[in-house]
Amino acid sequence: MTEKVGPKSFPSPIGESVPRIDALPKVTGEAKFTDDIQFGADLLYGRIVRSPHPHARIKRLDVSKALALPGVKAVVTGEDCKDRFGLYLKDRYTFCKERVRYVGDPVAGVVATSENLAEEASRLVEVEYEVLEPVLDPVAGVQKDSPLLHPQLKDYTVASFIYPKHGTNISNHFKLRKGDVEKAWSECSVIVEREYRVPHVQHTPIEPHITVAKQDRSGQITLWASSQSPFAQRDLIAASLGMSPRDVRVISPFVGGGFGSKAGVSMEALAVIMAQKVPGHPVKVRLTREEEFYCAFVRQGLVAKIKVGADAHGKLVAMKTEYYWDAGAYTEYGVNITRAAGYSCTGPYDVPNVWTDSYCVYTNHPVGGPMRGFGMPEIHWGIEQTMDQLAEELGMDKLEFRLKNCLREGSITATGSAIHPIGVAECAAKAAEAIDWGEKESSSAPHKLRGKGLAIMWKAPAMPPNAGSSALIRFNEDATVSVGIGGQELGQGAHTIAAQIAAASLGVPMDWIRISGPIDTQYSPYEWQTVASRITWSMGNAIIDAAKDARRQIFDLVAQQWEETPADLDIRDGQVISYKSERSEPLENLVVYGLPKEDDSGWRGGPIIGRGSFMPDYVSALDPETGQGPRAVVHFTAGCQAVDLEVDTETGKIELLRVVSAFDVGKAINPDQVRAQMEGGVVQGASTTLLEQLRLDEGFPINASFTDYRIASTMDMPGENISIIVEVPQDDGPWGARGIGEHSMVPTAPAIANALADAAGLRILDLPLSAERVFNALREKEGMP
Amino acid sequence: MATHKISLTVNGVLEQAEVPSNMVLLTLLRERLGLTGAKNGCAAGECGACTVIMDGEPVNSCLVLAVEADGSEIVTVEGLSSESGLDPLQEAMIEVSGTQCGFCTPGVLISARAFLDRTPSPSEDEIKEALRGNLCRCTGYVRIVESVKIAAKGG
Amino acid sequence: MKSVRPGLPEFDYIRAETIEQVSELLKNGKPSRLLMGGTDVFVQMRDGAFSPAILVDVKHLPGMQSIQKTGNKGLRIGAAVDLNTLAGHPEVVKSFPLLAEAAQSVASYQLRSRATMGGNLCNASPAADTAPAALVLEAILVAQGSNGERRIPAHDFFTGPGQNALQDGEILTSIEIPPPPKGPVGRYLKLGRNAEGDLAIVGVAVLGYADKTSESGFRFRMALSSVAPTPIRVPTAEDILESRTIGDETISAAAQAARKTAKPIDDVRASAGYRSAMVEVHARRALHAVWTALGREA
Ligand SMILES: Cc1cc2nc3c(=O)[nH]c(=O)nc-3n(C[C@H](O)[C@H](O)[C@H](O)COP(=O)(O)OP(=O)(O)OC[C@H]3O[C@@H](n4cnc5c(N)ncnc54)[C@H](O)[C@@H]3O)c2cc1C
Ligand code: FES
Ligand code: FES
Repeated sequence: MTEKVGPKSFPSPIGESVPRIDALPKVTGEAKFTDDIQFGADLLYGRIVRSPHPHARIKRLDVSKALALPGVKAVVTGEDCKDRFGLYLKDRYTFCKERVRYVGDPVAGVVATSENLAEEASRLVEVEYEVLEPVLDPVAGVQKDSPLLHPQLKDYTVASFIYPKHGTNISNHFKLRKGDVEKAWSECSVIVEREYRVPHVQHTPIEPHITVAKQDRSGQITLWASSQSPFAQRDLIAASLGMSPRDVRVISPFVGGGFGSKAGVSMEALAVIMAQKVPGHPVKVRLTREEEFYCAFVRQGLVAKIKVGADAHGKLVAMKTEYYWDAGAYTEYGVNITRAAGYSCTGPYDVPNVWTDSYCVYTNHPVGGPMRGFGMPEIHWGIEQTMDQLAEELGMDKLEFRLKNCLREGSITATGSAIHPIGVAECAAKAAEAIDWGEKESSSAPHKLRGKGLAIMWKAPAMPPNAGSSALIRFNEDATVSVGIGGQELGQGAHTIAAQIAAASLGVPMDWIRISGPIDTQYSPYEWQTVASRITWSMGNAIIDAAKDARRQIFDLVAQQWEETPADLDIRDGQVISYKSERSEPLENLVVYGLPKEDDSGWRGGPIIGRGSFMPDYVSALDPETGQGPRAVVHFTAGCQAVDLEVDTETGKIELLRVVSAFDVGKAINPDQVRAQMEGGVVQGASTTLLEQLRLDEGFPINASFTDYRIASTMDMPGENISIIVEVPQDDGPWGARGIGEHSMVPTAPAIANALADAAGLRILDLPLSAERVFNALREKEGMP
Repeated sequence: MATHKISLTVNGVLEQAEVPSNMVLLTLLRERLGLTGAKNGCAAGECGACTVIMDGEPVNSCLVLAVEADGSEIVTVEGLSSESGLDPLQEAMIEVSGTQCGFCTPGVLISARAFLDRTPSPSEDEIKEALRGNLCRCTGYVRIVESVKIAAKGG
Repeated sequence: MKSVRPGLPEFDYIRAETIEQVSELLKNGKPSRLLMGGTDVFVQMRDGAFSPAILVDVKHLPGMQSIQKTGNKGLRIGAAVDLNTLAGHPEVVKSFPLLAEAAQSVASYQLRSRATMGGNLCNASPAADTAPAALVLEAILVAQGSNGERRIPAHDFFTGPGQNALQDGEILTSIEIPPPPKGPVGRYLKLGRNAEGDLAIVGVAVLGYADKTSESGFRFRMALSSVAPTPIRVPTAEDILESRTIGDETISAAAQAARKTAKPIDDVRASAGYRSAMVEVHARRALHAVWTALGREA
């Protein structure tokens, strides 16, 4: 429990929609992204030779022609890689050694004086392959006769909470057994059982992946990378090279969007291996937009089998789920998505009997990785449609069904622990109210049908139990403050929120704060990763802790000076004050130079530096057989989206007229930024629902460009995009705050599907809800071929 | 490969360069002139992050050869603000958080500036229409459209 | 698996000032390619579709960027007129709003600043958005070659996906739109995956006008994009609309005829089956829109 710190009455920036502190450099073009940094004449460029096959053995690799091209400085291959790397499961080499496992798998890297030259040279690398039978479907991939993609799985280093099945393509099997599901079916008066499919999608940050790596003569490696995870990259890359993290430095300037794709390590290690061959030269590797679609992380595909039963009163009784994750060629990060899906399998519902198997399956598809929602958009697609159908069969209103069954403070979750205070019901009720739930609206044309739907959700930060944050608060001579953090500004507003928290917890005006950037592992304090919507909460707590530390130093100094007790002191609006003596002193008189002792006998104090850290210490292991444990995660953020749409029955096109989001963020540190996250999540969610699918034809990506893979533009905005903030405080959140970055795209897809069901009386179990798919479903419903 | 001596005005400054035939304007701006405001998000005319104004009209600078820009007048995001202050669009973007990660922002601002110059009092639909070539994955466009509305009213 | 280059491969750029210069360049034997807006050329070169030694920029040839009235309300559109200029030109907006609508449906404003109508037609994509308009307006494509000028009816111009009727050494210089029939109404309806700005899954252009000499009292012209190896006219539908009293039934019959004429394929945007169905829907909608507007005028 965080002690309340900070000023008692001076106007606090907490809860204020202060403007983003990074807006000015971003609107003027001053903001430097990785590709904007100028490296001068030493700069070299790398291009990657990639596998053209989903699954093959490398029979022969000849780089001599490429090396012979004037201007080519080095060519690297799997032989230059030492150890496997990975976040939760070390299952990949930076460059393939013998086998390629997806179209795009890196086989060689060419370093040359220009990007075009590197490209031309990369086309001269000769590779002979023996094509192997691929695994293209996760359900097929778990069959006994399936080709085995990672025969050495048993030798891979793995995190303690991940359970690979040696001799199979299953790299994690998460099991959850609560109550007695088989017995419970007999208590159900209604049971719905369905199979849902979610295709691969790609994050498409507008800035593609880019890394510049350089090895200096002392052996230190420096990376400039567009990264959500400078520290994790340092750690993982160092380990794969047999180096100490001390000797790998990651500098990450502004990041042009990540959405999970720039977490962990994906392409960054490629640049490092190449840079090691040309010491002293920075080597720039940037993915083309086309590569971005299949050579960076993608969101995993999912086949979800869900069976849910309720009793005659509409109370949920039992739930059984099987998840087959199409996790791709390497699952070093993906394994934990499948775990998160497992322990979150019920959605925000109170279900007494639960049985879940979540399988992470290797396939010859692009590498699955974290994407905004970390498995939750995928599983809620099935959960929330199933709940809708259950309510239908029960003849209950869908909102009422949810209010009756959703988690409330103290409800027992699937993993067997009591849930903290959480505003699921409040979010659902508010979203429903804003969409005029229960009122049938008329459609705008005879060939259009109109309907409403809603979906609720929950999501916890999925991370190791001991993921930590730290912060440094350094006062400058004039008492302005430089705040060191390792959390990254991805666009989500993290640095603005950090400044607000620093100002409020120190007791100084907001404009005294400057966030020290860019994030640089050499100077910035440790942060696990900027993922999981954990930064406001975890990094925020570290900043508060650092502020407390600084304040303690200041109070000790001033108390001594004034011969008072620290407990009577406070800092307000940049002044130290005493509630007892009512004395005050501007901070600038003491935070660097200290204070003169009485009678000129010397000085006391010195530069004030507050250090703070935060790491949850209460997340427990779960039983590997039952998935039960005292506390699976730190907390859950919950929310609801409600949709009012129209579907054109002649074309199948869905038009979103209104979308309402209501999320329980605990406390909105900056309400405008919270709303901005909800608005953006709705559009990204709607885009992935209506438009997006990375098409993999026998393992070959066939729509890897923005021309062929469409994302929402201004023309696809919902008519209205309304956000509602709900605040049920988190006991250990800064001012009660929880994260919101990912959650706003979690319920969008099922909310749209449920509204479509309301409008047209049909259920579509596969994403995306493309016009063509909806059209076909409408025809099928009419009994037409 | 042939090279070409070109001169062009960029944000009011006369620039001269010798460029190979296959260099695009975006590369000239970013890698030769150090104007890194315009971004490379696709190199294929799809995302709009590279948008600059060329002789009064917004173009995808990834699909214009540097040599084709010979003699032209270019405005990039760096040229929107001046000593006397920010463009009203930039002010509005700051005010309502029209930017998140900021990678699309320079292109959005350039498209919007060219648009407001030709359509000073636009409708919301016209704003969306004018910006449909600027992909943004962060904002959901809500606050971008809002920024343009505010700038139009103020300007 | 096509692998896309990060940048453009090497070539020599030459800005042509006269037709003669172009003819010379095209004759010298080096693989060369004509360039206007480059929005197809550059993208295809990155994709590795071709790799010419020379790019000949023809958009600055005399007359290539101008729009002129010809006698009797026709228009002569320079092949290198960009799509924004085209869509905003007062004469186009006044006399050929269908063409403005088609031009405006392409991609985005900034892309249309460079993309040209001539390039769109020469690229001869089945999905070319200005092609159906050119077909129903019965445009004449004017080409210049070493043997002088050749006038190619739009109808004969598209010979296959990415193939046109130009001969080696010929370049398209202008597009002539003959005077419109009296009181014409035109529409271009385009279905993409996004609300706007996608390449067409289906595009339907319809031009209608009153004509006492036809049995129905009206004549219609209809053309489709993205549903056959080339953009196509739909004479069967046009015949129905000339010979039967116009109303919902006739319009439906014509739309069905359009569907029969279409020979779509599956691609990443849509399946052949969906395209077929959408031809009918959009043909019907376009016809209705035109018919309603004609009715209003009558
Ligand atoms: C992101 C993106 C989106 C697009 N969206 C659409 C869309 O929605 N609808 C659509 O129809 N198109 C679309 N296109 C395709 C393209 O923009 C259009 O076809 C455009 O009109 C081409 O014109 P251009 O001047 O750029 O042609 P260029 O690229 O310069 O040339 C096109 C072709 O014509 C040849 N050529 C050029 N000039 C001549 C000449 N004078 N005589 C003979 N041959 C010549 C070239 O060699 C080339 O083969 C899109 C392209 C991109 C990159
Ligand atoms: S970089 Fe030019 S449009 Fe994307
Ligand atoms: S703000 Fe990130 S892409 Fe627009």
